Amino acid sequence: MSESADGDHSREGGRRTARAVARAGLRLGPWPLSVALVGTASAHAGSLGGATASATVPTWLTVLTGGIVVGATFLFTTLLTDHDAMRGVNWWRVAVPTPANVRRGLVRLAQAVSVGLLALVLVTGLVGPTTSTRNFALLFVWAGWWAGYTMTTYLVGNTWPALDPWRAIAGGLRWGLATLLDIGASRRRDERSADGGVATGRRFALGSASLPEGWGVWPAVVGLLSLVFLEVVSPIGTNSRALALVVLAYSVVTVAGALVYGRAWFDRVDPVSRVFATYGRVAPVQRDADGISIRLPGTAATEEILPDRPGETAFVVALLWVTTYDGLVSTPLWARLLTPIAEAGVPAVIVYVFVLLAGFGIFLGVYRVASREIRERADTYVTVDEIERWFAPALVPIAAGYHVAHFLGYFLTLAPALGAVTLAPFAPPNTVVLVLPDWFGSVKLACVLLGHVLAVWVAHSLAFELFPGVLAAIRSQVPSVVVMVFYTMVSLWVITQPYVAPPFV
Amino acid sequence: MSTKLPAPVTHVPADEEPIAACPHCERPFRSVHARDLHVGEVHGADATETESERYERALETERDDLWLFHAKAVIGLGVTYATSVILYMVVLGGFL
Repeated sequence: MSESADGDHSREGGRRTARAVARAGLRLGPWPLSVALVGTASAHAGSLGGATASATVPTWLTVLTGGIVVGATFLFTTLLTDHDAMRGVNWWRVAVPTPANVRRGLVRLAQAVSVGLLALVLVTGLVGPTTSTRNFALLFVWAGWWAGYTMTTYLVGNTWPALDPWRAIAGGLRWGLATLLDIGASRRRDERSADGGVATGRRFALGSASLPEGWGVWPAVVGLLSLVFLEVVSPIGTNSRALALVVLAYSVVTVAGALVYGRAWFDRVDPVSRVFATYGRVAPVQRDADGISIRLPGTAATEEILPDRPGETAFVVALLWVTTYDGLVSTPLWARLLTPIAEAGVPAVIVYVFVLLAGFGIFLGVYRVASREIRERADTYVTVDEIERWFAPALVPIAAGYHVAHFLGYFLTLAPALGAVTLAPFAPPNTVVLVLPDWFGSVKLACVLLGHVLAVWVAHSLAFELFPGVLAAIRSQVPSVVVMVFYTMVSLWVITQPYVAPPFV
Repeated sequence: MSTKLPAPVTHVPADEEPIAACPHCERPFRSVHARDLHVGEVHGADATETESERYERALETERDDLWLFHAKAVIGLGVTYATSVILYMVVLGGFL
């Protein structure tokens, strides 16, 4: 633990400071292999009485090693060709008995707590202390929810439908309004029947409006890109007042949307619900038709392909891209490239938007090209769209692995502050931040790699379900593995870069 | 064991006649080999005797090809492993 971090945070907010702290650990820390190798080398040197200078692994080799591990994982999975055995692993599950009334009670309790927390975020955001590491709203939203809670959605299970405060509020409002309208309608009906008129009983149907089918889940894709853009360029990461206003606006829009469009809103528009639902696909705890079951991590993604709706693939690709984008704009290279552009008079915000959209386009394009290649190699009549939807679940573990790498350090760094401030949100004490040990950097790299390794397995399993035989399925995976190797290397490079707050915004 | 996933959407280009199609679910295939494997894997329970025989033959072909492929994969793994170790030795030894 370091001394109080409650210093002058007026310019650099707690969130960014903490991320800088988290990343600094990485900059100093060598990569796990180097720790192991250096350790052995010096021990041997010591026993021989010689003196050897210890060397650290350069970044390029770290990055290359990541690519090699993913490639080797693919070669290794090609040796696993017993389809029934693969299904045995992928379909393994333990059912957890959950009586309906217990589940309902827990959901009610969770909803009450989450609505309370939402109110607390709004209040402390608007009137709480402005110091980042003492403000409940900032700590809770960024460290507690966006970093910590999101991790539980893929490491444990997607509990968001039960916890979503906006769903709870909308549900409560809908029930209240329906009751009121019912009373009103029956009263009108009574009056009319008293007059001898015909009771038409015209009732305003809540949640019955429908979104155009052709939009599919594209509204959620737009929503996700907008949210991440807002997170990167606006001061909501450091300014609690701005954050509270954004949360308030989001609440109004979400509740109104849910009242008008009903469940479809959370399924097709609300980006937050969709992010958690997507991450939940790889979680070990899954909700089935007959309750809750525990699976091996990632295996649930091998049993369900994306529905045939516009934008379904794009959303998963967008989720992958925004995690990369978030890291990319805080690298020193980005700052170096952006400086001359900004000095030439181009508004930085435009560059941020452009790169966000262009990068998303490139990711979508690469995924499309890889899917076409898969079609060619597997020599099949299955459509390219279908191949895209079929293999998209394999991208989720990659996004999850990258999310852990990006946010675990940040969450741990701020966890003591979050705990202290949660106990006294209105009179927060001075807080401390956790300083992570040097080896923590290697944990992050391992998370990125683990995500890719799991993705190779999921794609391998899905290919066996799609293409008959063994060889077609294996050969079909070559294009995606090539893409994955490059993507791993890019991700690892971003992770090994020191943190620089996104400049000019 | 049957699959839990739906049958995939297929599309045969207008200028192409599918080489083979599944007699049970009409899914088109670019090769007889793939069709035979599909029938055995997905419709194994309803397959006729001829279809089962064709499936066995297709599996035999797969096994032969797979042996060669696996030999290449194992060599690939070995080469990758050896190259990585040498690379690390060179870099950590300070020769680079």
